[in-house]
Amino acid sequence: MFTKLYAATWGDVGKAKEKGFFDFDLFSWMAWTWQTAAFFIFIALCITVMLIWEKKVPGGSPRKGILGLDTTRGDRLFVSLLGSAFIHLAWLGLVGSLLWIASIICVAYFIVVFKYV
Amino acid sequence: MNKTINQKAWYFVIPVFVLVAFNAAIPLMTVVNYSFQETFGNNVFAWEGTRWFKQILLSERFHASLGRQFAFTFIILLIQIPLGIAIALTMPKKGWGVPVCLILMSMPLLIPWNVVGAMWNIFALPDIGFLGHSLNAMGFDYNFTQQPGDAWFTTILMDVWHWTSLVVLLSYAGLNSIQPAYYQAAEIDGASRWATFRYIELPKMKKVLTLAILLRFMDSFMIYTEPFVLTGGGPGNTTAFLSIDLVKMALGQFDLGPAAAMSLIYFFIVLLVCWVFYNLMMKNEAQS
Repeated sequence: MFTKLYAATWGDVGKAKEKGFFDFDLFSWMAWTWQTAAFFIFIALCITVMLIWEKKVPGGSPRKGILGLDTTRGDRLFVSLLGSAFIHLAWLGLVGSLLWIASIICVAYFIVVFKYV
Repeated sequence: MNKTINQKAWYFVIPVFVLVAFNAAIPLMTVVNYSFQETFGNNVFAWEGTRWFKQILLSERFHASLGRQFAFTFIILLIQIPLGIAIALTMPKKGWGVPVCLILMSMPLLIPWNVVGAMWNIFALPDIGFLGHSLNAMGFDYNFTQQPGDAWFTTILMDVWHWTSLVVLLSYAGLNSIQPAYYQAAEIDGASRWATFRYIELPKMKKVLTLAILLRFMDSFMIYTEPFVLTGGGPGNTTAFLSIDLVKMALGQFDLGPAAAMSLIYFFIVLLVCWVFYNLMMKNEAQS
């Protein structure tokens, strides 16, 4: 049942695709893979955490960070995510392999942004 | 006094939420999915990991089109913003000249992109077009279909013709909102015309100018139809700006994976620029 969750490989090119359990016609055209699905679930989780955080500590804790900008929690999340995209891209372009190191840098970057920006 | 808290109005946001989901979020998710896979159609996809991103980031073709895009945007901003301010300063402030100028200024803005492209294409044709023929008759060796420099010149001229009015209208609105008292004070102090512009008009126009630069940046950064109709990205690839190159890759070559990766990188650049301008505008807002 889970085999069709994974992306096809080169051996499957040209073959008609078998309809798996998760292949709903409604969104099978979107070419989902578990990796990209995990990425979007991560984004959705981030937003959910922000919602819960806002309920617990309302107001978004605005402040003037080290960049001299007035930021709230949402701004910080945006800066973190966008910056992470650029860190990953830079790593891919400059180093090319071992992308997980870039991900670790991004975690550190997230922490720095949420603490100081 | 206790205010009743009623958040039901949020339900009115649902239609727009659904609309944005269907015309932005879902296509964007699909592009993300494409960017990690290879396909030959038929809805069969093979996982490729980050290969396309690496390929695009290292590809000379992408560097070239990104460079052309930045050069184009930079040049048109450099021309349109000062020119727009200059025109707005010379426009009449009252009388019959106001509606005439405003209507003349808004005319280019009302013309659809593809019509602008077609107009300028015919206008600039070296054998029959008024501009092209006149330039050649004056002794210039002008042919925008064969010489890259001429193609750039024509594309920039076309964009300046089409969009300077937007900067003019915004600057004009900014100028008109300045209270006469400021000018009277400047006159009493014996300020020169330049000083009046530098210390009264320019600071008062700061907000609208930030907006004008943002709008012009975004519009020129995603420019597609006008150069597509005018030059088709040619001669060669010399006017193939980012979006033209992207469409060539996605639809011309059917390289959906690399095209998706390229459009995501494009998207990140746009997001970054928007964020910078948003912060600039918020700063302006806080100051005033």
